[in-house]
Parts: sequence; structure tokens; C-alpha cells
Amino acid sequence: MSQEESSLLSRLSDAVLAMDEAETVRLAQELLVQRIDPGRGIEAGLVDGMRRAGDLFEREEYFIPELLICSDAMYAGLRVLQPHLPSGAAERKKGIVVIGVVEGDTHDIGKNLVRIMLETAGFEVVDLGRDVPPATFVERAESAGAHIIGLSTLMTTTMGAMSEVIRRLDERQARSRIKVMVGGGPVSQQFANRIGADGYAANASGAVAVATRLRQAPAESRVP
Amino acid sequence: MNPLAPRERLLGVLGKKLVDRPPVICTGGMMNAAIVEVMQKTGLTLPEAHFSGAKMAALAEAVSEHTGFENIGVPFCMTVEAELFGSRIDHGTLACEPKIQTEAFTSLTKVKISPGAARAGRAVVVAEAVDRLSRKRPDFPVVATLTGPVSVAASIVDPVTFLKELRTRREDAHRVLGEVTAVLAEYAGALVAAGATVIAVGDPTSTVEILGPQLFQEYAVRYLNDLIGAIHALAAPVIVHICGRLGNGTRLLPGLISDAISVDAMVSLKRLKADAPALVTMGNLSTYLLQWGPPDKIAERAVELVRDGVNIIAPACGLSTSTTLASITAMTRAVKEGPS
Repeated sequence: MSQEESSLLSRLSDAVLAMDEAETVRLAQELLVQRIDPGRGIEAGLVDGMRRAGDLFEREEYFIPELLICSDAMYAGLRVLQPHLPSGAAERKKGIVVIGVVEGDTHDIGKNLVRIMLETAGFEVVDLGRDVPPATFVERAESAGAHIIGLSTLMTTTMGAMSEVIRRLDERQARSRIKVMVGGGPVSQQFANRIGADGYAANASGAVAVATRLRQAPAESRVP
Repeated sequence: MNPLAPRERLLGVLGKKLVDRPPVICTGGMMNAAIVEVMQKTGLTLPEAHFSGAKMAALAEAVSEHTGFENIGVPFCMTVEAELFGSRIDHGTLACEPKIQTEAFTSLTKVKISPGAARAGRAVVVAEAVDRLSRKRPDFPVVATLTGPVSVAASIVDPVTFLKELRTRREDAHRVLGEVTAVLAEYAGALVAAGATVIAVGDPTSTVEILGPQLFQEYAVRYLNDLIGAIHALAAPVIVHICGRLGNGTRLLPGLISDAISVDAMVSLKRLKADAPALVTMGNLSTYLLQWGPPDKIAERAVELVRDGVNIIAPACGLSTSTTLASITAMTRAVKEGPS
């Protein structure tokens, strides 16, 4: 890697971290002009910047507004670089995750953060949005060949729908293929254990750790 | 000391006076106790009670009677305000609380607020309920709950855009929050005029966890204090509920000028008291424990909160509507009986 290339990549990463969407787009275009591999631009530039933003989030230096603005910059850069990826480029997929809010209002910010951080970590995410019925989670997970279903809720009254998803997977004997992770305001580790979910995450970076663990140990037995 | 009437006790605590024991209350709004069991027992049901002052008052009184909470709390949701500003609301069902369906605006830059907003819609219904309750039950504190400025703003503008624009469109953010706060202050004024004893403000979007300490200070503390100041000018006390983890935002709480601060279950009120002894604290019995825990554990935890010197005992957050009366009365009875 030339010095120019590494300098451009680190500036791209910095632009994402600095929440500077215009600069991110400008640098991504410059990268194309310089004929630098767009795949490297994505990994060592955009995603690297977003990962650093995630680190700052975890250290409580960045909060949700900052993370959202960084992700806008990252996605804007992706829109520039992705069309230039050679077809058949090596997939960076760590797994497919279907996520959605069981029942909630538009304050599904947590779910959006989970999507952003999972995508940053290399997962393909199918986002079903909010007010998703249990049957839809299962159908969409099967049709997408998903490895994980991520369920979130904001309403305590609808937490039963989470166990319903698990019951339906059980019925289809799909639990070894499709893992279930849960999160959201009223949900806790205790609750996850109670309904037999494979994992619980309190926040977006936790969700990445749980999804990674579930992919690494697919045969691991779940907490009773 | 003779046992105090519930109204005197709550006002006493909020006025930093010595009282016989902490009151046990549930404010209403996002933290209301209109559980399915009470509605089934009494036939007073949601969603109907969201739209009629008489029905809202009747259900609120029944909730207080059956649960043993020492206040009467209205309304039963946190969407009244967003609806005033034009957001579309799904009013829910008997078991499921109302929620925002579509925000009125796509961006802070587009927000236009009509000056008469506070005197319309369900604001009038809530004021009518307060009026009925304060006449009928002079011995009981009528707590009217508002949604705080940041949460209202995040319910009238798409919340993801809103959160970003708190950083990228500071001028617009301050303009909108100022205007929203003015409408909320007018609404609070109508509630106090109708006889509300206490105004509670729940501001679930405005947490240190979501905003971080800097934006929490810049927006949440500033506009909450503007609102509280306006209510204080009417000689009514104010309770503020802050959701979520506080982390190093704990130091910002004493900056709030409310008469009491309520926090979520994960915050140690014992430590908060130690850090800021002057704060009047409220909370924070886990709603998870209330929903799932055995009554004896619930009672134990309630007594522990009393022992820790918490000034007002209350659920830590929004109650699940499937919580049972047996669980809630275990909590209220334990506080009334006190540590043995």
C-alpha cells in the first residue's frame, strides 16, 4: 500500500469519525480517481471510522446523536464506493440477521443502532421495521436464510410476542439453524432466560458481541 | 404524629418537611397503573378513558382505590402533547398503551407550532378529569403528568432525524424546544388551574444515556427547568422522572430545579442520596419485579427503599398492564406498614 493510499484511507476513516458527510463523500470520490480498491476504501476507511465511533460510544464519549451522524457519513460513502466493487468481490458477510421491533412506536432508535453496528461489523441485516407480527419474523428469517433473529420491543405488554417467535421456531425445529437474540427497554437478561432466547444485549455494541458469539458457537446450548 | 392525609403527606415531602413516612404513589402518564385487572374489575376501560374527562377521572380514581397508591394520576399515556402538535397517534387497546404512529414533521427545520395548541384536543380532556378529581377527592393529591420538552419534540419530529439535528441544527433545535416548552407551560397552567396538586414530568427520550451529558445539559436541563420554573410560578410542585442509566450524568441532576427527582430501577437511590443529600428522591421499584416477582419479594424491596431513605416510593418506570393487583398492593401495603 502506497503512502498516499494509506493516508487517504485514514482520512476517510477520520471523516466518518468526525461526522463529516460531505468530506466523506469527497474523499470516497478521490479514492476512486486514485484507482484505490473500493473494497479497501470501505473496510479500512468507512467501516474503520464507524468502528472507531462505536468504540467512542462504548467509552461514553460519543452518544446516540453522534453515532447516527457518523453512520450517515458512512452510508453516504458506501453509496459512492459500492457501485464500483468488482462483481463477485469477496463477501464480507459474517451472517444474516433479521431484525425488527415486535411492537413499538417510532422510537425504535435502538433497533436502528443495532442495524448500523451489525452492518459495520460485517453482518447482512434484513430490517423488518416495527410492529412486526411473530409469524413474519419466522417467515422472513426462513426465506432470507437468516442465522439470527433479533427482536426488540419498547412495550412491556407485548413481550409475550417474543416468546411466540421462539415457540414458532421450536415448532419448526428451526432453533439450531436460527438463533434468537432479544433487546429493548423493558427486556433484561432475566427475561431472555425466562423465554429461552439464545442471547440478550443491552445496547447496540452488545448486540454485535452477542451476534458474533452466536455465529461462532452455533451448536452451543442455550441458557435454560 | 397522627397519620397525615395523602395530600398533606406528598406536599409535605415535596416541601422538604418531615412526615410520618414516605408516600407511595404512581404518577400517571408514562408511569400509570391502569392495569388490565382494574379495568376488568370495574368495567372502566381504555382506550375510551383517553377521550372523556369523566371516564378518565373515574378510571384514575378506581386505579388509586384498588392499587392503594396514595395519589390519583392522569392521564394514562404520554401522547397527549404530541397529538396537540399534530402527530398521528395509535390510541391502543385495553391492554396496550397509545403510541406515536407518525410524527407531524420530518425535520426540526419544518416545525410550525400553532399558538392555540395547549387549549385543544385531549389537553382539555385531561384538564376536565383533573377538575372532577380535585373537587371529589380533596384529601388526595391529584398528580397530572406531562411529557417533557425533549420527548415531545422527539414525538413531533422523526426521532432519528431529531437526535441528529440536536447537533447539526442547534438553532432550530433551540427554537422548537422553546416553542414546545411554552405550549407545555400553558397546558400545565390549565392543569394547575383545574386543581392539580402536583405536576409530574416524564421525559423518556431526554436521558443521559441517549443524549450524553453535554446535550442533556444543553437541552434537557435547560428546557425542563424553563418548564418547571413556569409551573413553580403558579405555586405548584413538580416531580421530574429521568429514564435510563445516569453514568457520569449523575452530577447534572442537582441542576434540575424540580421538587423531586424520580429515576429508573438501575440507578441506586441510596448512592444518589449520598452524592446529593439535598435531592428529594422518588422511585424506584423495578417494574420487572412488579410484573414477575412474588409479592413477598416486592414487599421486601419496597421496605428496603423506605429504609434507604427514599422520599417517595414509586414504580421505577412504566408498569406493564399485565401486572397484577396482588403485586401492586404488596408494594403499597409494605410502604404503609413500614419497616418492622
